[in-house]
Amino acid sequence: MATTTAAITLTSTDLLTDALSLSATNTLYKAGTTIGLDQTTGMAKAYLTATTVVDIFPQLIEGSIAFENKSSWVYICNKSEDETEYITVKICENVIGKLYAGDFLWMPWSMRESENANNHHGDITVAPSVATGMWLEWTCINEGTEYPTENLATA
Amino acid sequence: MATITAQLTVNSDITDYGLAINKTMTMSKAGSTTGLERTSGVQRVLLTSLNHIDLIKGGLAGSTVADMTVTGDTAGKVYIKYLEDDTAKFVRIGLGNAADGTTQTANNGDQTFFEIGRLYGNEWMIIPWNGASNVGDITVQPSSASVTDGAAIVEYIVFFE
Repeated sequence: MATTTAAITLTSTDLLTDALSLSATNTLYKAGTTIGLDQTTGMAKAYLTATTVVDIFPQLIEGSIAFENKSSWVYICNKSEDETEYITVKICENVIGKLYAGDFLWMPWSMRESENANNHHGDITVAPSVATGMWLEWTCINEGTEYPTENLATA
Repeated sequence: MATITAQLTVNSDITDYGLAINKTMTMSKAGSTTGLERTSGVQRVLLTSLNHIDLIKGGLAGSTVADMTVTGDTAGKVYIKYLEDDTAKFVRIGLGNAADGTTQTANNGDQTFFEIGRLYGNEWMIIPWNGASNVGDITVQPSSASVTDGAAIVEYIVFFE
């Protein structure tokens, strides 16, 4: 069993009258258990040169979500150093928010399938604000991924 | 201008090579290096029923955060933690409008709900937030087990422009 810990520290000395300091730490477990998550997509590093919306975890099988409602954790970071550049992060076409240069997110992901009968599910997508090239990093730590079977179709 | 930093550290032996994230972000206004300067403060909400509710409402109307003037397309950030020792209990975190109920939909363009993920006991998250009215509401719903002890407690803080 693997052990994965995640910690966050939020600090500010000048936002409020008194200093803000908030910390949290937890171990990543499989849903509803105390068994550690044991699978990952690995850390991806990508240079995106178009403003196209891209699915960053395309290995999910459309319409067959074996790991729906299981425990999955997602990290996405905009590695740009230009403060005007951002990526728009969506889940199933719904805008979560924008990550500007140096920003990251860390969130759970239910891989929920929508009620639409179009094999649509909770894809997590990103779209760069510029086509001049942006570096991004992302990873998913989870209970498992249902991989597509071999595609034997020919053109 | 304030300086707010968030430091994320993730360590794992999930692969033979390990996996480590150590990243610090300074929260700035959209497209600038000027720091975010407004906050909801740390809020603690007791969920005493299984109802699906708007934890944080986008826009102005009915905001659960006093004086919060979030507008869309900003660089706001939201931190949420489920204060619960039992790792079998969870809260569903969603985007959309809780008033629609708990029906899972594909797209909250019609102000319905889509589940992002679940926070089990003691878990937390930090995400950017565009704060758009209704479609950008952050919703929460405790699991059935969560209220048997009286209340599910969720803590959150919003940083915004």
